[in-house]
Amino acid sequence: MQSKIVVALAGNPNSGKTTIFNNLTGARQHVGNYPGVTVEKKEGFCEYKGREMRIVDLPGTYSLTAYSAEEIVARNFIIEEKPDVVVDIIDSSNLERNLYLAVQLMETGAPLVLAFNMSDEARARGYEFDIEKFSQFFNAPVVKTVGHKGEGMDELMEEIIAVASRRSESLNRFSVNYGDELESEITKLESMLRRHFPLTDQYGARWLAVKLLEKDRDIMARIGSAEIDEQVERSAAYVEKMAGEPPETSIAGSRYGFISGACQEAVRSTIEIRHTISDRIDSVVTNRVLGIPIFLGLMYLVFSLTFTLGDPPMGWIEDFFKWSGGVVAGWWPEGSGSLLKSLLVDGIIGGVGGVIVFLPNILLLFFAIAILEDSGYMARAAFIMDRLMHKIGLHGKSFIPMLVGFGCSVPAIMATRTLENRRDRLVTMLVVPLMSCGARLPIYALIIPAFFPQVWHAPMLWIIYVIGILLAILSAKVLRSTIFRGESIPFVMELPPYRMPTFRGVLIHMWQRGWLYLKKAGTIILGISILLWAMTTFPGLPDEEAQRFEKEKQSVQASVADEKDKPASIASIEDARKEEELRTSIAGRIGHALEPVLKPMGFDWKIGTALIGAFAAKEVFVAQMGIVYSVGEADEGSETLREKLKDNYSPLVGFCIMLFCLISAPCMATIAITRRESNSWKWALFQLAGLTVLAWVITAIVYQAGGLLGIGI
Amino acid sequence: MTSADTLTASLEDYLEAIFHIIAEKHAVKPRDIAKRLKVSYASVTGALRALAEKRMIHYTPYDLITLTETGETAAKDVVRRHEVLKDFFVEVLAVPDADADTAACLMEHSIPKAIVERFIEFVEFVETCPRGGDKWIKGFSYQCDHGGKQESCETCVASCVAEVRKRTKKGDEKAVVSYKLKNMKPGQKCRILKVRGRGETNKRILEMGMTPGSVVELERIAPLGDPIDVKVKGYHLSLRKDEAEGIDVELI
Repeated sequence: MQSKIVVALAGNPNSGKTTIFNNLTGARQHVGNYPGVTVEKKEGFCEYKGREMRIVDLPGTYSLTAYSAEEIVARNFIIEEKPDVVVDIIDSSNLERNLYLAVQLMETGAPLVLAFNMSDEARARGYEFDIEKFSQFFNAPVVKTVGHKGEGMDELMEEIIAVASRRSESLNRFSVNYGDELESEITKLESMLRRHFPLTDQYGARWLAVKLLEKDRDIMARIGSAEIDEQVERSAAYVEKMAGEPPETSIAGSRYGFISGACQEAVRSTIEIRHTISDRIDSVVTNRVLGIPIFLGLMYLVFSLTFTLGDPPMGWIEDFFKWSGGVVAGWWPEGSGSLLKSLLVDGIIGGVGGVIVFLPNILLLFFAIAILEDSGYMARAAFIMDRLMHKIGLHGKSFIPMLVGFGCSVPAIMATRTLENRRDRLVTMLVVPLMSCGARLPIYALIIPAFFPQVWHAPMLWIIYVIGILLAILSAKVLRSTIFRGESIPFVMELPPYRMPTFRGVLIHMWQRGWLYLKKAGTIILGISILLWAMTTFPGLPDEEAQRFEKEKQSVQASVADEKDKPASIASIEDARKEEELRTSIAGRIGHALEPVLKPMGFDWKIGTALIGAFAAKEVFVAQMGIVYSVGEADEGSETLREKLKDNYSPLVGFCIMLFCLISAPCMATIAITRRESNSWKWALFQLAGLTVLAWVITAIVYQAGGLLGIGI
Repeated sequence: MTSADTLTASLEDYLEAIFHIIAEKHAVKPRDIAKRLKVSYASVTGALRALAEKRMIHYTPYDLITLTETGETAAKDVVRRHEVLKDFFVEVLAVPDADADTAACLMEHSIPKAIVERFIEFVEFVETCPRGGDKWIKGFSYQCDHGGKQESCETCVASCVAEVRKRTKKGDEKAVVSYKLKNMKPGQKCRILKVRGRGETNKRILEMGMTPGSVVELERIAPLGDPIDVKVKGYHLSLRKDEAEGIDVELI
């Protein structure tokens, strides 16, 4: 009985690793063309000639240092879990840099198979490889593959099995010679390690020593011996004095020296191509003059694809849920106050609808993002925007999520996935809701005409949007210099060659994102929907109150008044009933209780209650205001509601409402997606609390200052 | 403190012998050790037992002897001390080879590591310092061999000064051709001279192939003036100008 072979796939980003993983396992997984698409550890199973294999797709890395979480994950897997075979997928059209990882893998002593992938591209570039020689240099079998065509997979499997069965016999570690100065220090550290660190043999003394000399923080922390740290300091100082450069430089230099030696022996270049197609595309796309217009044009395309094309299906989804709500409501007699009906129609169907309504946006956005990533443009977009984004402490890649934020925060926060660094991702995620999303527009559309003269309409809207952008920039800066303080994340990044995205890859990506949203964020959104439903429904009117409204209705019905007027009178009684219901509901009571807190901003309990409802979705604010002012079904175009607002509030309060809605806690869907994407409630709640406090402080300042200066009272 | 410090001088000799025999023959028998160290077979067995107890060697009677990992490091350590001392005697003090070897054998067990390092540093210093240099050492060995003064101090100093001038001039020339990568213009090709600075960013720059000696070409600058796109080892790498701050290049 032979055991399962554990195979780890390692390789640089953009080396086609994911494609090979898909070929081997048939798993559905995203094929990216942007550094670091594969962030999670992915596994699959396959069988070849009766041998079962478990294949682990490690994150794409350039090296095995402690530079990023991905690298630590990859190397810990190799060293600690000791897979039977490590396959290093190498982009053979970019051999030297890809072999850097191979050298490091070799140094861990892992049983290695090298897959020279994209060998068709390499051939087109005029490279010829002496596979035999490479195999000798790296002390590992080498297989040529073409991932997207599935070539070389059988040979790869054969070698994997061969290496797996040879494993126990030979485990001789090959290593690069780092020169006399370093070697003597390495020996010194090796013997110290053996005495001070019990796990030395698991990692390999030499490997640890080299990592220490490279000043690897993770390894230093793991060993945690002051004596060894001291020795490392001494050794590094010694090497620097002797060799004139710090050990990191020497080590990287020696590794590349080894690689270039191997390449000189084993690679023949038949043709010289000065400018590849990729270079030519770049000379247009990142051109000094054309670069920015092209970028803005593409961004406009992404934005309109997501929101313009996404609008009709969103309408259909809304209609569908309204219709099914109607159907379900039809099971009960007209005007029934059944709680079950209310739960089903308003709570569950409304909630599920509220989840699915985002799906068109998300699918379309990720369709666009997958094309941008797979084609290689995303790296250029970051290249173009980095100067600007770097100024506010973010990365060039943060631009796309921020932009999408103007449409909807939910897909925007999902789009932060393109950022590899956790710090960058979190900051972007936290400030994205400040980009005024589409759902806030109905609020502005209701309020601006109610309080401001025609000429002020456009400037007012503009002011609100600009305040959002400025606050986002400011918050990003503040976050980067407080909680997320630290060296800004380097932009040392590959600009991969342009490649044609495959339709299959793009679809898989879209599908994965959509599914993830439904499964992970959807459940949270549904839960909060039902909770909010309960808050606006319970405890319900006391019996005598309900009976009073019922009697009033009956008396109108029975009265001698004109039959024409009757429905209107009944409707107004119904509106009053709803107002009363909301006022006495949990949300209404909280609104009342919050009045002292709301006062400094000029808000009363009615606005407070509407704001609580607006947590379900920002645009609900308008409908809730309609209910508290007993104007029935109100939308942003409702003149009656505007009249009521005008009568009750000053323009200053109107402005403060908009300001508060702009800044305050985004809707529950945003919180849910932040929870999902940051993988912690901590950040979701931090976002909720932080934005609410910020909104309160700013709105209160504006209201108080406005009052003192006598503006808009 | 190394593990070898817990060994007696004679045990260190045994370890050293085993190390050398392994290097020559790949297999060690007690008889070879006895022959090499000119001691009796019985004392070899005793020493081997002591070494095995200290987990320096794998030893079972009538079987081949191999070094453990600790043993190998300890042995290498002794050998290194031996070689450093011998080198110093031969190269600096101009002592004949065989005498140097014997003296090194005697001193290697007691000399602390720090002093061995100092010896190395001293030799390096003497070789590179303009007031010392190869000639200076050779002058000493000449004096040892021939006795008395050879040439007048003035001519010696004059030739020394000339040497220093030549060296600094070379340095000046180098300083003239060294530029910063971030100040290059698109299309310019250059070779990396030095990657200064440290930290994670620098390490990453090196790992991405920007090692001293590599040829890079500045491809383009982003429309807003930062980051830059350089071609290195056949691929495109982007980095911010402040990240490229420490990269010195020469034009080619």
